Amino acid sequence: MVKAIVYTLTAIALCVGLFIFTQWYVSTQFGEFSDALETLYTKVETKTASAEDGYAVRTLWNDKKSKLHVFVPHNDISYIDYWLNEACGLLYNGEYELALGKVEVLKEIAKALPDAYSVKFENIF
Amino acid sequence: MALIFIRTTIIFVVLLLIMRLMGKSQIGEMQPFEFVISLVIAELACIPMADSSIPILYGIIAIVTIFILHEIVWLFELWFKPVKNVVSGKPSVVINKNGIDEFQLKKNNLDVSDLIESMRVAGYFNLDDVYYGIYEANGSFSALEKEEKASCSLPLMLIDRGKADTQNLARCGFDRDELKKFLQKQNCKEKDVVVMTVNGEGRVYFQKRGEHYKILQCEVNGQW
Repeated sequence: MVKAIVYTLTAIALCVGLFIFTQWYVSTQFGEFSDALETLYTKVETKTASAEDGYAVRTLWNDKKSKLHVFVPHNDISYIDYWLNEACGLLYNGEYELALGKVEVLKEIAKALPDAYSVKFENIF
Repeated sequence: MALIFIRTTIIFVVLLLIMRLMGKSQIGEMQPFEFVISLVIAELACIPMADSSIPILYGIIAIVTIFILHEIVWLFELWFKPVKNVVSGKPSVVINKNGIDEFQLKKNNLDVSDLIESMRVAGYFNLDDVYYGIYEANGSFSALEKEEKASCSLPLMLIDRGKADTQNLARCGFDRDELKKFLQKQNCKEKDVVVMTVNGEGRVYFQKRGEHYKILQCEVNGQW
């Protein structure tokens, strides 16, 4: 019985530790990505962004997503890939108005995704 | 991740509750919470395996949650007896010295034919072959058998909870009028009978609702 109690408490402790780490890690990663998107958005708005700026955000995202795949469903990650690639293509062609809309969507996804995995009433049910 | 833990816990509790409400007819030789675990765990293991869009960690967390819930339920059952009664249920004595306890059968979502089937599986072909018949908490049937078995002829059910079985009536050469006369002699109506069986030798097991069972005799063709 002592063994069962030890195993149970260990499993609970590991789970709680993992929950706290996941919450912190996902929020931090998406926070950094949001900051990069905010900078890109400002540049696109003032029409000073280049394709390289878009590629830089994409490189940052590619680095983060390789680890985020462990915690976030892969479909959610592929949405960001899709919108980011579209934004990069539009920046490459110098279509700032269209690119602005794409970056706006990306900003919203980056804000909403960590929330979708936090412990909230609406997420539980 | 915490979401998976909470959602798994909710599903576990709801399934356990539903299984308990369904009674002993739905579980086969397992405690209700063990049955729920075996029901859930296979699916939890399969989903992340089959769907590559779900991180495998989601499946692992859900399975670990089930492990934690199993251990918690087991420890609670060990420490607090009332918890065991709530989670796993209690054995139900469905046959006692008065005959069939209809209330206990209904409580476990069972009927007389389920009971007779369980008895046959356990090796008892007559309702009065046992002193006591018990459905254990895990759904299995146990009985305290009588020293002498009633007969070597297979009984047929003529009335099951107030409804006559016309096929069995025909099989044993009984018609509706004869049954009616038989019931009149017993001073009751068809709907008042919990169970009435007859074997090839004409030996009748008869139990009226709320009364002690009787062993009677009648004329049958004995062709089974």
